[in-house]
Amino acid sequence: MIKRKQKRFNWILTIALLILSLFFLFPVIWMLANSFKPDAAITADMNSFRAFVLPPLNGSFFENYISVLTNTSFLRYMCNTLLYAAVLIVLGVIVNGLAGYALAKIKFPFRERWLMIIMLLMIVPMETIITIHFLIVAKLGLLNTIIGYILPMIVNPFNIFLFRQVFISLPDDVYEAAQLDHCSAIKYFFTMVLPMSKSVVATVSVFTFLNVWNDYLWPSLVFTSGKLLTAQIGLNAITSNDNTTTGQTLAVITMITIPVIIIYSFFSKQIVQGVMSTGSKEG
Amino acid sequence: MSFIELKHICKKYKGNENNSVSDFNLRIEEKEFIAFVGPSGCGKSTTLRMIAGFEDITSGELLIDGVRMNDVAPADRGISMVFQNYALYPHMTVEKNISYGLKNMKVPEDEIRKKTDWAIEVLGLEAYRHRKPKALSGGQRQRVALGRAIVKEQKLFLMDEPLSNLDAKLRVSMRNEISKLHRSLGSTTIYVTHDQVEAMTMADRIVIMKDGVVQQAGKPMELYEHPINRFVAGFIGSPQMNFYEVRPQDQHILFSDGNKVKLPEDMAQKLRNYQRLTMGIRGEDIRLDAASQEAHGDSIQKARIENTEIMGNENNLYFEFGGVNSIARVSKDHVSQSGDKIHFVFLPHKMHFFDPDTEKSILADDC
Repeated sequence: MIKRKQKRFNWILTIALLILSLFFLFPVIWMLANSFKPDAAITADMNSFRAFVLPPLNGSFFENYISVLTNTSFLRYMCNTLLYAAVLIVLGVIVNGLAGYALAKIKFPFRERWLMIIMLLMIVPMETIITIHFLIVAKLGLLNTIIGYILPMIVNPFNIFLFRQVFISLPDDVYEAAQLDHCSAIKYFFTMVLPMSKSVVATVSVFTFLNVWNDYLWPSLVFTSGKLLTAQIGLNAITSNDNTTTGQTLAVITMITIPVIIIYSFFSKQIVQGVMSTGSKEG
Repeated sequence: MSFIELKHICKKYKGNENNSVSDFNLRIEEKEFIAFVGPSGCGKSTTLRMIAGFEDITSGELLIDGVRMNDVAPADRGISMVFQNYALYPHMTVEKNISYGLKNMKVPEDEIRKKTDWAIEVLGLEAYRHRKPKALSGGQRQRVALGRAIVKEQKLFLMDEPLSNLDAKLRVSMRNEISKLHRSLGSTTIYVTHDQVEAMTMADRIVIMKDGVVQQAGKPMELYEHPINRFVAGFIGSPQMNFYEVRPQDQHILFSDGNKVKLPEDMAQKLRNYQRLTMGIRGEDIRLDAASQEAHGDSIQKARIENTEIMGNENNLYFEFGGVNSIARVSKDHVSQSGDKIHFVFLPHKMHFFDPDTEKSILADDC
């Protein structure tokens, strides 16, 4: 009896959640459907159910996408952002990972206070620090350079904390065994610690990617030249151009959204695992 | 010169008032199997970790093969170690776990393959060579840990309670495997355990520790038959030795409940100067058989059995005597029920006497 009741409740819950998710998905479906239509069709379909339906697959189906990719520098901006994200993922995992490892496993004076300071930095909003970052980067003459963009984004207190929480539960005897196997400390970090903490590496990588992909403020301050712009800044530049049609704007937004959806759907398990493992007890 | 020499080794942790290990002295010869045994917190693992180089030596000197090792890195001490929790590399297969050290030591590829294959074969891990540790049982993991240690062909093996995570049956078979491996490799082994049975069955010599201090070091039977103090007497042997508070009186010792046991002349002579004594006797030296009772007819004691443990190969009888709970180990043919009355004798030459204040053995010097 209880089982039947539970089953019925599960069904109701599933239907309710489906309706709710559709409610949130409507704008995305609308965006996707209209990104394949010319402006005239968008306006014509606006007040009907057809606004959520893809147009027929004919010769002009991909026209908005083709014109955006051929007539603007959007493809370049996407490639720029992917490159920045890749560099920042690698550097972020190494630098924040090493810092997290030191805070978790290496004994040094005032270690706990350092951790407190890093945790305090997590509550300071990015916008507060960004002015200082900008002044330093400008003073170093690194404005409008890739290094100037990347440098302040490598260290991330939240990522350091994530790494520290996972590394603290790694058994010490594995390090001791590795020492007897002639493994240096730095080799141990790269060949043992990181592979043993795959989920947190994946979490940090995903967070870094999303951070870079969605960031608007910092690249808009650092980059002035068109060549180095990121996708988000490019989006603004393209959509604010009077010659850009609504269909092209929607095509650009769709292209910017797709990588985020792909990343979330592929790595959602790792993200949950990584964040959950940060709550583990100290070993 | 011995292969390993520990000279006045002390370990004191910051903030601790007492030493964790105090004045540890030991010489270990090549190919010896030494067991450090003692209760939790006695300093046995700390001593092993000082030998491995994972703990600093506060004072004293550690020599391996005549070379001072105090400040030498663990990897350069020529040792292999098996850890209590196996410490396998979880993301590597059995084969890679075993060969990892050799690769780091820049051993040629074909030699690595030969040695790894040999270790896998010796330890019966052929079927698991491509599995990762999480797909192995406890016993198989421990074998991989052993493989990782033997493949490097170091002169000294350190083992830190390697069998404590295994079930009783597997522990017995692994005990046998480790002993065989030790004999076939001819390496020197230092084995830490809290299980005195493991120490007794495997070691050439046992070092018993308590509160950071070595209590006694010697061959297993030496420790069993001639314990130097009450702690060693109580620690070695299962079931534990029976202890009674007694008083010497002429040729006898007097128990707190008024019972008397006659002592041999020479023994009584040595105990004459003591007002109080602690007498210890092992369960198997409390005899219920007719021949023993006939031989010591003037010291036959009586008691009522409170409980009987049937072990299969022998029986343990629990009874109260001299104001304390006592245990006698008898043959499996002797069947007594709770409540039965028994007559028994203490074998006089198997009795141990300890000074109740210092707990030191009074007769040990004569052995």
